[in-house]
Amino acid sequence: MVAISTSNLRKRYGDVTALADLSLSIEEGELFGALGPNGAGKTTTIEILTGQLQPDGGSASVLGHDPVAEPIETRRHVGILPEQESPPSFLTPREYFDFVGTLRDIPDEVVEERVATWTERLSYAEKLDTLSTDLSRGQQQKVMITQAFLHKPEVVFIDEPLANLDPIVQERVKEFLLSYRDDGNTIFISTHHIEVAEEVCSRVGIVSGGELIAERRPSELGANESLLDTFLENVGGPGATVEGLVGR
Amino acid sequence: MRWRLFDWMLREEWRLNGQLFVGMLREEWRLQANLFGGVRFAAFPLFVLALGAGAVWLLTTTAVATIGTLVLGVHVLAFAFGLQTGTTAFLGQDAARNLLGDVTLLVFTARTLPVSQRRLLGVFLVKDAVYYSGLFMLPMALSFTPAITAGLLTLSDVALLWATATATFLLGVTVTFAGIAIGTRDVSGRIVALALGVGLAGAVVAGVDLVQYTPYGIYTGATVVETIVVLAAIPLLATFGIALYNPNYSKPARTAGDAGDAGDAGEAYGRWRDRLPFRDDAVTAKTLVDVSRSSGGLFKVVFSGTILLAVGVFLLELAGEIASVDPAPGVTLGAILALSAFTTYNWLTQFDDVDEYRLYPLDVGDVLRAKRRAFLLVSIPTGVAFYAVAIVWQFSTLGDALVGLVVHVGLQMYLFGVTTYLAGFSPNEFLFDTVLFAAFTLAVAVPVVPIVVAGFVVSAGTPSVLAAVAAGGVVLALAGGVLVRRATPKWERKTRT
Repeated sequence: MVAISTSNLRKRYGDVTALADLSLSIEEGELFGALGPNGAGKTTTIEILTGQLQPDGGSASVLGHDPVAEPIETRRHVGILPEQESPPSFLTPREYFDFVGTLRDIPDEVVEERVATWTERLSYAEKLDTLSTDLSRGQQQKVMITQAFLHKPEVVFIDEPLANLDPIVQERVKEFLLSYRDDGNTIFISTHHIEVAEEVCSRVGIVSGGELIAERRPSELGANESLLDTFLENVGGPGATVEGLVGR
Repeated sequence: MRWRLFDWMLREEWRLNGQLFVGMLREEWRLQANLFGGVRFAAFPLFVLALGAGAVWLLTTTAVATIGTLVLGVHVLAFAFGLQTGTTAFLGQDAARNLLGDVTLLVFTARTLPVSQRRLLGVFLVKDAVYYSGLFMLPMALSFTPAITAGLLTLSDVALLWATATATFLLGVTVTFAGIAIGTRDVSGRIVALALGVGLAGAVVAGVDLVQYTPYGIYTGATVVETIVVLAAIPLLATFGIALYNPNYSKPARTAGDAGDAGDAGEAYGRWRDRLPFRDDAVTAKTLVDVSRSSGGLFKVVFSGTILLAVGVFLLELAGEIASVDPAPGVTLGAILALSAFTTYNWLTQFDDVDEYRLYPLDVGDVLRAKRRAFLLVSIPTGVAFYAVAIVWQFSTLGDALVGLVVHVGLQMYLFGVTTYLAGFSPNEFLFDTVLFAAFTLAVAVPVVPIVVAGFVVSAGTPSVLAAVAAGGVVLALAGGVLVRRATPKWERKTRT
């Protein structure tokens, strides 16, 4: 069953084309990675799919909801982890989760139980009562990861999931994402880190110039193939190399 | 040979300073032009000039205010503006980001460029002096041109006013900067404020006329010694601040308990939420926690009210002296004190952005509703409390007091509606966006001026005017409600495109 789909999605910011007829379909239980260079349209896609932004054309569906016509209903059912978003400066993480719990109708005791699990998983229990403005970037990212999963959403949108995290926590997050997918949930990751996409995604879509230009399953890559080669070939053309692209 | 080397080094130093100065000047212009639109921002000094000149002409020809009062007002405004500018500039990258969005200013680049923090701060201060002197203080001074044609001032008076207003602005910037620099040496702000207060009180007790030791004192005719003291204070404060400022200072992490919340750490948000009369209103509770935990806490709101109360009473007494008619204190003060609605709304929206609520199942209407509730809980009670103090102080009659109360609440609701409709969740944008500022000024002047004028008429004991003013207050409240309703789809559309 399809969890997320878009058809000919278009978005422009003035003269800049962010999305040009983007069409994709993601099944329930998939961990889909949108891989692309900076400015490829990945973040715009997430913002449209979560009802934060209106497209100029095309259509989208998330768990059967139209994010353009029903932004609130869509957001009720999904989790969102933006790339550059911090928890509210003057709330402590504990208060912030209380805040999110109220907005998402999660009973207090459930919030408490899930927060305990997450603080243990990401090792930040001692920071629960520190004002968020005084947390490091990495600690703030841990808080934001927790809020995205607090209501156990069926679909989660994540923009650069491992940003600012130390290697140990990165591994824990990757493990969690795989187990969350195995539970039948759908995850849409936007990243420009090829190794992350290769390691955790069941399917990777290469986005460039606002279009989905190629799709690959990392598990189906041959012994002499790599996602990097696929990426370079599709973004830079046949025979493209990192050196060649950098030199352009 | 040694002298030539020294000369070369000196020239290199000045060349770098010059480059930084030009870079910062360009940066300041682009920042504001980018925020408010190039043409709109460029037109702002002209708008200040037109508005100021109109006000000077109107207030002096109608004898509502004297030139002396207006000149004093310009200096007070310049000082407040300087304090505010200093706070934004020197509190650091995070504070700038809170106010301006994701920006990196040249003054914060010492960690990545081979330039010392002290040099960057010094050039930044010079840039501020030139920039604000030309773009803001000059039009404010030139707005007194009608007084020259009326024979009340000379051209050299206006030139002096420009110089002393600029000096006042710089005094504000350097006072803030010195205070922040002391703070980076782990000295409590309360101790600094206490020391300053004791010093000023001591000077007053000793019979020192402190006003003469300000740039305003120079304007009114200070002695040579007083002038030297004032003019020396600005570079001294700047040097003191630059020498003391510790760029590597970082505040220790604060817990909920450090933020001034009594009881169990981490429960303050929950307590705020439980106290609210609206069931499970998370955004209202968060807004109140934001204001109470940010610098100055809820005292900020009280402070704004105190300033308006002082201004209101001052104007009332001045108007009584000049016009020989005692205005109705209820109606007049009700209208003046309602202006605090704008500053209070500013505090309620200062610490978040509507975009951040898009992570949750909330729309603009939900956020606006929460802000209105927070406004009703903070602004109306505070305003009414100040109003009660004012009418007791100024011996209002019962009828005048009741009508003034209706006017006060109605005008506050109207101002809330106007502000949300015009500026959404960023009322700070009024400051430099000419079109928005003009629209806001007009929207405020249209009801406030007739009400204040009516305040004079009411004193003649005309119940019909009193009834009309009360009806006006109710109409304003309704108009505010309509504006809020219209603001919701407007900002929903703007935030999603």
